[in-house]
Amino acid sequence: MKIQKMPALTLALLLTLLAGCAAHQPAVLGGAVQSAAAAPGDKPVVVTDMTGREITLEGPVARIVALTAADCEILYALGAEDTLVGRGEYCDWPASVLDVPVVQSGADTNIEQIIALRPQVLLMSGMAQTEEQIAALEDAGVHVVVSDAQDIAGVYDAIEMLGALLGKEKEAQALVDSMKEAFSAISSQAGANAGKKIYFEVSPLEWGLWAAGSDTFMDEIAQMLGLTNVFADLSGWGEISEEQVIARAPDYIVTISMYSGEGPSPEEEIAARPGWEQIPAVANGAILNLQNNELSRPGPRLANGAQMLFQFIEDRKP
Amino acid sequence: MLTVQDLTVRYGKLTIVDRVSFSVERGQWLMVVGPNGAGKSTVAGAISQTIPSGGQVLFDGRDISKMKRRELARRIGVLTQSHYVGYGFTTEEVIRLGRYAHSQGLLGRSDGDGEEKVQAAIRRTGLEPFLKQSVLTLSGGELQRTFLAQLLAQDPQLLILDEPTNHLDLVYQKEVFALVREWLDDGGGAVISVVHDLSLAKSYGTHALLMDCGRVVAQGTVKEVLLPERLNGVYRMDVGAWMRGLYRQWLEDGL
Amino acid sequence: MIGHGKEGFLLREHLLFCVLLLAVLLTCAAVGSVSLPLDEAARSIWRAAAGRPQEEGSLAASILLPVRLPRVLCAGLVGAALSLCGGAMQGLLKNPLADGSTLGVSSGASLGAVIAIAFGISIPGLPFTGTMVLAILFAFLSLLLILALAYRLDASLSTNTIILIGVIFSMFASSFSSLIITFAGEKVKTITFWTMGSLQGGGYRNAAILAGALLLFGGAILLHCRELNAFAVGEDNARTIGVDVRRVKLRVLICVSVLIGVSVSVSGTIGFVGLVTPHIMRLVFGPNHRRLLPATIYGGAIFLMLSDLAARTILSPRELPIGVVTSLIGSVVFIYIFFSARRG
Repeated sequence: MKIQKMPALTLALLLTLLAGCAAHQPAVLGGAVQSAAAAPGDKPVVVTDMTGREITLEGPVARIVALTAADCEILYALGAEDTLVGRGEYCDWPASVLDVPVVQSGADTNIEQIIALRPQVLLMSGMAQTEEQIAALEDAGVHVVVSDAQDIAGVYDAIEMLGALLGKEKEAQALVDSMKEAFSAISSQAGANAGKKIYFEVSPLEWGLWAAGSDTFMDEIAQMLGLTNVFADLSGWGEISEEQVIARAPDYIVTISMYSGEGPSPEEEIAARPGWEQIPAVANGAILNLQNNELSRPGPRLANGAQMLFQFIEDRKP
Repeated sequence: MLTVQDLTVRYGKLTIVDRVSFSVERGQWLMVVGPNGAGKSTVAGAISQTIPSGGQVLFDGRDISKMKRRELARRIGVLTQSHYVGYGFTTEEVIRLGRYAHSQGLLGRSDGDGEEKVQAAIRRTGLEPFLKQSVLTLSGGELQRTFLAQLLAQDPQLLILDEPTNHLDLVYQKEVFALVREWLDDGGGAVISVVHDLSLAKSYGTHALLMDCGRVVAQGTVKEVLLPERLNGVYRMDVGAWMRGLYRQWLEDGL
Repeated sequence: MIGHGKEGFLLREHLLFCVLLLAVLLTCAAVGSVSLPLDEAARSIWRAAAGRPQEEGSLAASILLPVRLPRVLCAGLVGAALSLCGGAMQGLLKNPLADGSTLGVSSGASLGAVIAIAFGISIPGLPFTGTMVLAILFAFLSLLLILALAYRLDASLSTNTIILIGVIFSMFASSFSSLIITFAGEKVKTITFWTMGSLQGGGYRNAAILAGALLLFGGAILLHCRELNAFAVGEDNARTIGVDVRRVKLRVLICVSVLIGVSVSVSGTIGFVGLVTPHIMRLVFGPNHRRLLPATIYGGAIFLMLSDLAARTILSPRELPIGVVTSLIGSVVFIYIFFSARRG
């Protein structure tokens, strides 16, 4: 009955909110490549995934199902898009990935769909799968590899791990190097932004205002740029109130809202909120919309996102 | 006062009350009697407009189905058997609700001689000690008296009693019937009672309406209607023998 | 008659509640991410009400007036409206567990609002009102449906039947809303908004609409206190004493639908306010609606303003969905009532 259901629902919702979106656990992630032959052939490939499980494969992988968008992006960046035989429903970058057969992911993960695609490896993040689900997949001959980057170093690990799986260690190394290079170019000029504050809006007012706090990729990139995240006292993502943003007076606002093409754009919508006109970022028109998940996804495009933000700030300097 | 013409009630294809006609004049106490399923309570409900019906019910020549609820309530009041009050209203609050039909204005503040009627009803039912008490704490009999007081405060010209004392013990039964008799003797009004107990019908009623299977079997004064052979036919048993048997023991024991 | 002398809400009680209401309003306006002294908050609200300019760069000018005050006002008005509806329905249906959220009316209103947004239904010339109109309409239709089903199952409209049907309908409406939200994606607010409610972004315009609805339709409910008393004693009794049962029921249900519809389209579904407030007020002021309903309006406003204060300050800077706060308090009270009603 309702009486029992409501508090349970409440609790469940609350937990989902906190667990699903907010609390990023401290990284306890290896993700290092243990051993892998340089030349693709029939030599066995052994990798340790990001939960520390050791996985042995007969050779480089040719059929992969990737549930997370970030892993799909890494596969494309490594030039291994041909190995992708299935993708999670939220994988949307680059556009050509949409042609790959889709499977349900996250809490709705459907093992049958995955097995039907006959992958050698299932790439997924560690969040929603139960031990039973993983055991069922392994019984069906699908190796489960967990790729679950929580910070930029974790992204490097994920890239290197995928490189090893695919026998593309060189490409992986090159990708990691190029990301590192991009980041170091940015952080070398961080001093110029000292004292400036930034606010990352991950969900707009209409949906309930959510901000990125510490332990997020956005926060990491803000630090790299020498900026202070105004919600660094918040761990992970969290719902916050309007007046908090006004009181913290950020110099820059980054929104990741998608623009449907109708009505005001996300930047315009933020600027039009009553009381927000006094925020320096709004007053100076310093609102950036990164709507293609450049900063919210642990993939290679984090470097692009960081560069776009860097350039945006540079452009607004007198 | 009240003229009922061809009153008919149907539930789907089933005819519960079939072309019942009778009339009640001021000063009369009409007892509606008959076995279970005869349609007695349905007739009462149809007259008080709680059950949709065919035919006509005229009050002093006016069709009551065309009256507003308040107009009707000023003329006809109903007392039924079971009441369960949802919340802890005080006895006084429940009694005062009886004046609803007489109040005027948006908030119903003006109500001529309402206060007098309320006080008289309280006095008559002897509820003074319970006025500020929650009705949830009253006994069944006290609660029924409260609703009778509400009915008296409502001050209708015709009372319809639909077995209001069914679940009450003898004391309350006597009390309610005595109060209604008193009210009737004050003049101006009439009573229609649905009763099971033929002895009650005989000793309090002036007139009777005997029903069976939705039809009127006989009507007239109590004496004319409650004849042994007629009752035996309707109840399909020897009513007289049963009654005599019931009371013989008491008489022998000297009650 | 029933409103004789002491039975109505006394002037002294009105004054007491007004003072309490103002005190809570001020506290809620003054406390938040940045708090300012009560007297300063009072002065700046007074200054704004009188149309005088605020001090440049003051907290009042930057946060209190543009963001916090309209939100507090919306909280108070939604609380008052939902509580009044709960109180009216509990009387009308003689059912102490009746309320917009337990009967599924709020979920119905949400469904209407979600449909309006997802399919872009609007009334020509009035861009904002399509949501509200559909929310009101759906609230009313849900009420009719729930009551009709309950009547068919159990003509006496017993507490359990009606709540059971309410729960089932509520689940149906919520899952339908979730389905539409899933397909509508970006257009519709998140599911949390429609299940837990939120007072974020409530501007002065919303507050004005709520105030207007409360004045008109809340006022209309207050004019039916005597009838509600009669219904609370029993519907048959109400009919006997001359209440036009159908008409009164229809009027009250329309008023309730409008108030719930407007509240839901402004703040989503905030559960349990309408259930809890009338109960607490009934304990203090008794079941007579002439006293109960005014007290419920004040009490509901105070309850929701304080719940919202808790929602935005307890885990600061994190904000809790308002429904979590009200449901936590409400479900405990609900269970208490249910059990004591069963035992009694």
